[in-house]
Amino acid sequence: MNYFLHIFIISCIYIPPILGFNLVFGRGKLLHFGQTALGLAGAYGIWASFMLFHFPFLLSLLIGAACALCMALVLTWLSLRLDNDGLGVMSIALHLAILAVVLNSDRFTRGALGIPGIPRPLLLQSLPAYALLCAMIAVCWIIFMLIIERGKLRRNLQALAENHWHAEAIGVNRRWVYTIAFLISALGALTANVIFVPYMALLSPSDYGFPAMILNVMMVVAGGPGRVWGVVCAIFLLMGLHEGLRFLSLPAEMLGPTRLLLFGTILFIAVYFRRETLFPPERKV
Amino acid sequence: MQLFSNGLIAGSLAALIAGGLALVYGTLGVFNLALGQMVLAGGYATWWLHQNVGLSLPISIVGGIAIGAAISWMTFEIFIRPFYKRHRFLPLVTTISLSMILDALILLLFEERPRSILASMKDMRIILGASISTEQIMLILITCLLLAFFAFILHCTAFGRKLRAVVQNDFAAMSLGIPVGTLHRLIFIGSGVLAACAGIFIGIDQNLSPLLAFPLTIKAYAAVIAGGKGNFWGAVTCAYIIAFLEQLVVGIRWFGLFYIPAGYQDTVALVFIILFLLFKPAGLFGSQTRTA
Repeated sequence: MNYFLHIFIISCIYIPPILGFNLVFGRGKLLHFGQTALGLAGAYGIWASFMLFHFPFLLSLLIGAACALCMALVLTWLSLRLDNDGLGVMSIALHLAILAVVLNSDRFTRGALGIPGIPRPLLLQSLPAYALLCAMIAVCWIIFMLIIERGKLRRNLQALAENHWHAEAIGVNRRWVYTIAFLISALGALTANVIFVPYMALLSPSDYGFPAMILNVMMVVAGGPGRVWGVVCAIFLLMGLHEGLRFLSLPAEMLGPTRLLLFGTILFIAVYFRRETLFPPERKV
Repeated sequence: MQLFSNGLIAGSLAALIAGGLALVYGTLGVFNLALGQMVLAGGYATWWLHQNVGLSLPISIVGGIAIGAAISWMTFEIFIRPFYKRHRFLPLVTTISLSMILDALILLLFEERPRSILASMKDMRIILGASISTEQIMLILITCLLLAFFAFILHCTAFGRKLRAVVQNDFAAMSLGIPVGTLHRLIFIGSGVLAACAGIFIGIDQNLSPLLAFPLTIKAYAAVIAGGKGNFWGAVTCAYIIAFLEQLVVGIRWFGLFYIPAGYQDTVALVFIILFLLFKPAGLFGSQTRTA
């Protein structure tokens, strides 16, 4: 039972950042892979301030928010300056650069060792209590994204995704729309890291590597880019699969590669079946 | 002088990968994010043929290149061709899935520990005060030869003229009877062969490790983007610039006070490229074109 609760909690934690990523990548068709970098910046901003420098939690939260939002602004700037494919590669470069800084700044981040012993709040010591909190946050995020889906931001993002020249010609402010979308995405990443790290009791840079970034992409592609409910279902299914693979009686050194192989194949199949909707061709009159 | 020779070695390796990529981007307009894994596949195949099967080094190298070419051909047929005509960004995602599959296969077949194609100690020489091995001199020379060969093909042959025509406009080239599909395939396989050569160089000069794949890909793409996308010579030049920059960053005593730790070597180069592109998004040799 506890194992299912664990999968449920992890899936709920994934909902805010993935729905944020879905808004930018799935709806806005901005090919960026920097979602994990947003989470990484936010997580180290909060938990390094709190655990290593002993700042009050609220101040640490503000520092984390500032780090994640600054990163979002850099990604927005890149998205406005570069072509979509250039943005894709450069967002990965940004992610690698931040990861390298985290791994090499032992004094500020404890490097590859990570930051252990992060406490859970007093009222959330039990697993069901934590699951309840995560479920509430996930539901709030789903409602928030459904509201956005019905609003002007989604329409503007979609118009910019189809043809940004035409959208700007009818008064859509590209800079503003992208900034808001990336900031929402950063807020999702920050929310997840406020609850994920105390749950694991450890902030480890290995949780923010290449596989984490690929998992984000896969959840959006498999769920249907831009679809809120589809992505939520994909999160639960893929997390179930991700964790369920532990039950296979494989040696430890084979588990990682087998997971990579399986997820790579799933991603390819998902893209194959979503090839019409992932990047739809421009409409022409 | 040592910094210069290190930069030359790293730059030669990056130029080999980035040059092929620039051609692929110029003709197909797609990014292949499994490139680092294709580099490693060529290196690991050579290591396996030489160290496990026991073939001589030249035959192993030919075998490694052939396996690299076969992998890039399969990549083109399965992960690129069904997608790139629909939308040029689709291969970027399909090649991410390929990178995961290749990563998994490399880990399952060759494990995570470092592998070196040459088990023996390297023969080091001192040239103009810089310490450099025979293998590294060979790497620099062979890269120069390969780039010169590419330049000759590209600029002095009928085949090169067709290639450049396809790079400029594939529909116009098709209307002139140039077999565009075949050329796309050949260019992709050519870039795979260059990648396999780079993997073999890594295996001979250093150690092969699955962890190398992604940074290799990103650095090569940084060179392609900074050089002006699709510009072969721009990519080659920027590959050398990035390599020299990396060496300078960690090799110089800054303001006479401190050295930047070697762990930041990759980071500083990537951040520099990101900042550079923010101010000149078309790249060093690209031209900004207006579209609507």
